[in-house]
Amino acid sequence: MRLSPDFARVLNFLGLMGMIGVLIGAYYMQFAYRELPCTLCLLQRLAMVAVAYGAAMNVVLGPDPRHYGVCLVSAVFGGAIAIRQSLLHINPYFDKTTSMPTLEATANPGFGSPIFGYHMYIWGVLIFGSVILIVGLVQLFKGQFEKAEPSSNSLRTMAMVGAGLFFAVAAVETVTVFLECGPGDCPNDGGWNWWILRQG
Amino acid sequence: MMTLAHLIIAVSAFFLWRRNAEWGWITMMLVLVIGLYIFLQDVDFSSNLGVQL
Repeated sequence: MRLSPDFARVLNFLGLMGMIGVLIGAYYMQFAYRELPCTLCLLQRLAMVAVAYGAAMNVVLGPDPRHYGVCLVSAVFGGAIAIRQSLLHINPYFDKTTSMPTLEATANPGFGSPIFGYHMYIWGVLIFGSVILIVGLVQLFKGQFEKAEPSSNSLRTMAMVGAGLFFAVAAVETVTVFLECGPGDCPNDGGWNWWILRQG
Repeated sequence: MMTLAHLIIAVSAFFLWRRNAEWGWITMMLVLVIGLYIFLQDVDFSSNLGVQL
């Protein structure tokens, strides 16, 4: 089974747009519900941006096993964080403050608002798992790693638009993370607790 | 540290946009190492991880 470098670029562009869509959705939740992401949430976002970076490298520079490797390693990292956060909230009868079992089912509520019935860290497990599966399957196809420039101007334009949009998202992400965390640790209370507002 | 990790990605993304980032995979590995450091700082191994697992 063969996959042309051009078609692989298109597939990676679709993956890149998917990851950017997830990040924009996370921003919508952050500002619409006034819920700042916690440390583990931000680490999952970091992993998603890194997955998107691997896809963007494939789109701009051409498919390469190292670029897919960036996607896979980042997805494994993000999946580990998401599983860790899911485990923290999977037992409602566990009191996080005392680290002991309790009869109060409200002692360990989920973090943030659910989306379509699931919290973001559950979606994180599903998304990172899907990335690992899809990237593994795409790498089964031969032919995509032949060094070749994009065959048309539309593919070059697609690469520049995708990389430009990704840079914009990464830059905005950096600014908002700085405004939330500053140079140090990030708040974990889930409130509207910006670092920049605590400085005054 | 979180800001630094995101800043490294943003700078790498800028160079990728300018088609000059063959070294980008190295910076992504560096970012993930920083992320792992933040994660390990966040986990309280002595209490809740042991109880829940």
